[in-house]
Amino acid sequence: MTAQESPVTEQAQAPVDTHATSGTGRHVRFRVSRFKQGDQRPHLQDYDVEIAPATTVLDALTAIRRDQDPTLLLRHSCFHASCGTCGMRVNDKEALACVTEVSDLDCDTVKVEPIANQRLVSDLVTDMIDFYDRFRAIGRPLLRQSEAFPDSEVAPGVEEHRRYESCIECGLCLSACPIVASDGRYLGPAALAAAQRTVAEPRGGDTFSVLRLTDDAQAAWRCHLSFECSEACPSNVDPAGAIMFIRRKLAGQRVNSIFGRRS
Amino acid sequence: MTVREDRTSPRRRGVYGWVDPRGRRLGHWAFILNRLTGLGILLYLGLHLVVLSMLATGPNAWDNFVSLALTPVFLAMDVVLIFGLLLHGLNGIRVTLVGFGLVVDRQKALFVSLMVIGAIVLVVASLHIFEVG
Amino acid sequence: MTDRPADREVERSTWAPSNESGQPAWGWILQAVTGVLVLFLLSFHMIANHFMVTKGLRDAASVASWFSNPLVVVLEVTFLVVVTWHALLGLRAIIFDFGFSPRTERRITWILTVVGTVAVVYGICLTAVIVSRG
Repeated sequence: MTAQESPVTEQAQAPVDTHATSGTGRHVRFRVSRFKQGDQRPHLQDYDVEIAPATTVLDALTAIRRDQDPTLLLRHSCFHASCGTCGMRVNDKEALACVTEVSDLDCDTVKVEPIANQRLVSDLVTDMIDFYDRFRAIGRPLLRQSEAFPDSEVAPGVEEHRRYESCIECGLCLSACPIVASDGRYLGPAALAAAQRTVAEPRGGDTFSVLRLTDDAQAAWRCHLSFECSEACPSNVDPAGAIMFIRRKLAGQRVNSIFGRRS
Repeated sequence: MTVREDRTSPRRRGVYGWVDPRGRRLGHWAFILNRLTGLGILLYLGLHLVVLSMLATGPNAWDNFVSLALTPVFLAMDVVLIFGLLLHGLNGIRVTLVGFGLVVDRQKALFVSLMVIGAIVLVVASLHIFEVG
Repeated sequence: MTDRPADREVERSTWAPSNESGQPAWGWILQAVTGVLVLFLLSFHMIANHFMVTKGLRDAASVASWFSNPLVVVLEVTFLVVVTWHALLGLRAIIFDFGFSPRTERRITWILTVVGTVAVVYGICLTAVIVSRG
C-alpha cells in the first residue's frame, strides 16, 4: 500500500484476539460493567469475544475496545502482575485481569466489574485516591521504594541485592474486605500491611508513630478476620496476617505496661 | 477536568459485601456465620428471658410450658439453637486466638477442626435431646 | 526521614484516626474476654439445667430447689450479666460497621446500655422471686 492509497473500509470483521484464532476459537460472552459520569448506576453490557487457550481477561477487554467498542475504558500497564493497575472483579472474585486466563474461568459467560469500594470514574476505571490516602494517614508515606541492601551478603557473581516491596497497590484487598465495603472509616488492609512491613523491617524508620497509628479502633482493631484480603492479594502480601502481627505487638505492649516491663 | 476536582463518593458494596457469597472463601463464611448466629442467639436470649417470667407467675404456668417444650417441634428448634451456639462459640475461640496474633498461619485448619468438634458435639447433644442414645 | 521524592510529596490524608478516647482496643478485648467467660458459664448453665435432670428440663419445683444454692445464684447471675454484655456489645459492633456519625454512635451506645441494664435488673429480680419461693 503506498501513501496515496486510502485504506479500504470493509464491514466490521468478527473480533479477533491477539492470539490469532482465525475463527477456530471458543466464543465467550463478556458482561462488562459500563458507567459514564451522569449515569445513575452501572449496567452490564454484553460482548462476544473469540478466545484462544491462553487469552487473558485483559486480552479480551482490549480486543473489545479495539474491535467492538472504543468507548470502553480500562486501565492496564505491565501485562505481568507487577504494576497492579488492572485489578478488577472477574466473576465476583478480585483478580488481576492481565494474568487471569479465560480458559481457567471455565465458563461461557465472564462478568467483569471494577474493583469495589472505590470511586468509580468510568466503566472499569476507579479513582484510587481513597486507597492512597490511607498510606499517608501517618503524615509520611508508608509506601516504601524498593531499595538495595547496603550490608546484605551477596552471593559471588551477584552485583547487588534489591528488596522489592510485595505490595503492588492494586486495591484488590480493599475490594474484598467486608468492613471496607460498609464503612469508609476503616483504615483498611493495604495500609495496615504497609504499617506492618515498616514495623517488621524498619530500615531506620520510626516504628513508634506507625504502631501508634495502627493502635486505633478504626485501624488494627477493626478487622473481623474474614481473611478475604489475603485471599484476594495477587502478590503474597497477606494483609490479614500482617494485621494479626500488629495486634500481637499491640497486645504485647499492653501486657508489658501492665506488668511494668519496658515494651 | 481532573478526577480530583470532580469527586463522587466511593461505591461501597454495603451489606452486600457481607452477605454476597459469590467469590467468597472460608474465612468470609466464618465471619458472616458468626454475625448471623450472634444475631440469632441475641433474639433467642430476649425470648428466653421473657419466657422465664413464667417461673414467677406460678408453678402451673411454668410446668405447662415445660410440657410444651418437650414436644418434637420444640426439641428440633433446640437442636438449631445448639448448632448456632456451637458455631458461634467455637469460631469465637478462633477469632480470639487468631485476633491476638496466635496460630495465624493455621487459621483455616483451626476453623475446620473446631467445626468438626462442633459437629460431633451437636450429634451427641441431638441424640441426648431426642433420648435415642 | 530521607529526602526521597515520595517523602516530599506527602499531602494531608483524608483518613484520620477515630476520636474514641481511652483504650482503642477495649471493645474488641471485652468481646474476647466476655466471650471466653460465656463459653464456661454457658457450659455450666446447659449441663446444670438440661443434662443433669432426667427429663432435660427442670420443672418449677426443681428450679426452686436448684436456686436455693447460693453458688448457683451467683453463677447464673454472672452468666446473665456476661452474656447480655457480650450480646449487646456484639450488636453494637455490627451496627457501628455501617459508619454512623460519632453523635449517633454515642446515642446507640447509650440505648444499648439501657437495654442491657433493664435486662440484667429484670433477671436479678426474677432470680430473687425464685429464690424466695424455694
